[in-house]
Amino acid sequence: MIYLDYAATTPLDPRVLQAMLPHLTADGSFANPASTHGPGYKARAAVERARAQVAALLGAEAPEIVWTSGATESNNLAIKGALEFNGGHNGRSPHIVTSRTEHKCVLDTCRHLETQGVRVTFLRPGTDGVVSPEQVLEALTPETVLVSLMWVNNEIGVVQEVQRLAPLLRERGVLFHVDAVQAAGKLPIDLRVIPIDLLSVSAHKIYGPKGAGALYVRKKPRARLAPQMHGGGHEWGMRSGTLATHQIAGMGAAFEIAAAQLQDDARRVAGLRDLLWQRLQALPRILRNGDPQRAAPHVLNVSFEGVEGEALRASLPDLAVSSGSACSSATQEPSYVLRALGRDDELANASLRFSLGRGTTAEQIEQAAESVIKQVQWLRELSPLWKP
Amino acid sequence: MEAINSTETNPFGYAEPIWQRFTHPRHVGEFAQGTPGVVSAEAGSKAARSVLRLQLRFEGGRVADVRFRAYGCPSSIAVGAWIVDWSLGKTPVELAALGAADLRKALEIADDRAHCALLGEDALQAALASYAAKS
Repeated sequence: MIYLDYAATTPLDPRVLQAMLPHLTADGSFANPASTHGPGYKARAAVERARAQVAALLGAEAPEIVWTSGATESNNLAIKGALEFNGGHNGRSPHIVTSRTEHKCVLDTCRHLETQGVRVTFLRPGTDGVVSPEQVLEALTPETVLVSLMWVNNEIGVVQEVQRLAPLLRERGVLFHVDAVQAAGKLPIDLRVIPIDLLSVSAHKIYGPKGAGALYVRKKPRARLAPQMHGGGHEWGMRSGTLATHQIAGMGAAFEIAAAQLQDDARRVAGLRDLLWQRLQALPRILRNGDPQRAAPHVLNVSFEGVEGEALRASLPDLAVSSGSACSSATQEPSYVLRALGRDDELANASLRFSLGRGTTAEQIEQAAESVIKQVQWLRELSPLWKP
Repeated sequence: MEAINSTETNPFGYAEPIWQRFTHPRHVGEFAQGTPGVVSAEAGSKAARSVLRLQLRFEGGRVADVRFRAYGCPSSIAVGAWIVDWSLGKTPVELAALGAADLRKALEIADDRAHCALLGEDALQAALASYAAKS
């Protein structure tokens, strides 16, 4: 089995596991980090160390990091929290600008807010997958409270122009939320120089544990949010709930490792991604999805003409990749991201997302390319419609 | 022809008869132009993402040889592979008795893939109509 689905999730780095284990058992710092006794302070110290580690990868200050259960919660907190705190004070419907190719947890959160009277503009990217800053600016209205865009698209790997957009939104006094789940640990992020207000990250996409995430909430100028989880007032009142010390320690370790390896990882993985694309060129009539000039290092998304998507996926049982076909997801529709790029249903369906990571080797890439080429050729040969 | 040479056995949970036919289809292709006794038929559409083309070569009132091509999901490919295998040696009367329900039973096709069985029935009925027109 060749695993090329690192954008879906990654295995735990063994160093991360070691960082997590001391926080689970009676002989370790299992205590509630909110408790005001010795063991509680010890757990609290582990949480704060991890907060500093996560902040360091992002160029943030530690108190700007709010722990969550993962990026879905971070995105929910950012969008709902910002709208609840900042929107609708003048009696008019507040407005959000986002794009059609955001992760479902952003789209569904925005659609939920629409049912509460919020107006949402879902921008359509160009055929290259890019939403231009100019498009965003044109969509702003006096009621726009928040712009939410992802840094790197999870399906096609396109890097959005968030760095150029951020200062333009700051000038206009509009909050900017960025889903950076696929960017953290892959691209340099420095929030000291990029005026993003809210930024979501996740642990399990960069060799940390599942069930741990964070929301960066800028202190200067302060981004204000209404909490979405009420309780003991943890995390400066922004997210209540007992902190999962072991998950948080794991996330901290994963972010520290990612910071140390970022450049080497990115260079190596981008090289392997280019090798894969080069090998796949042996097949005629394939299309790369997303602008190759704006590609994150770890994702390659390809549509294959003349094959049916589910059969393509099923013909590659030794390859763990994501597919644009209906049966790979809970919904029975081809990828909405590829549809938004203008690919027709058939091509959107017949696409594969290869996502590479630390465990990927050149040998695996050669084998994967060979399998894909062989199976696409076979399915085309089998088809009564294929005309070479 | 062995389409898939995998160390993984059906990791997607397809019904075993579908997986077997999908991974090891026989009689893929078509007869040479002008081969005597051949009837051809096609069912489905590209828009529906499933097309099945059957060719049956009759000799002495029975199917002597078969070919098929299919575009579609594993179930529809398996339906094509199963029909041509099953057709060998059958008379038109015997072929006419095969319906979508029989295909669903033979290949353990689930409700949400019932259309794949209908595709097979449509293609076989079209082949029989073509045979009747020629006879």
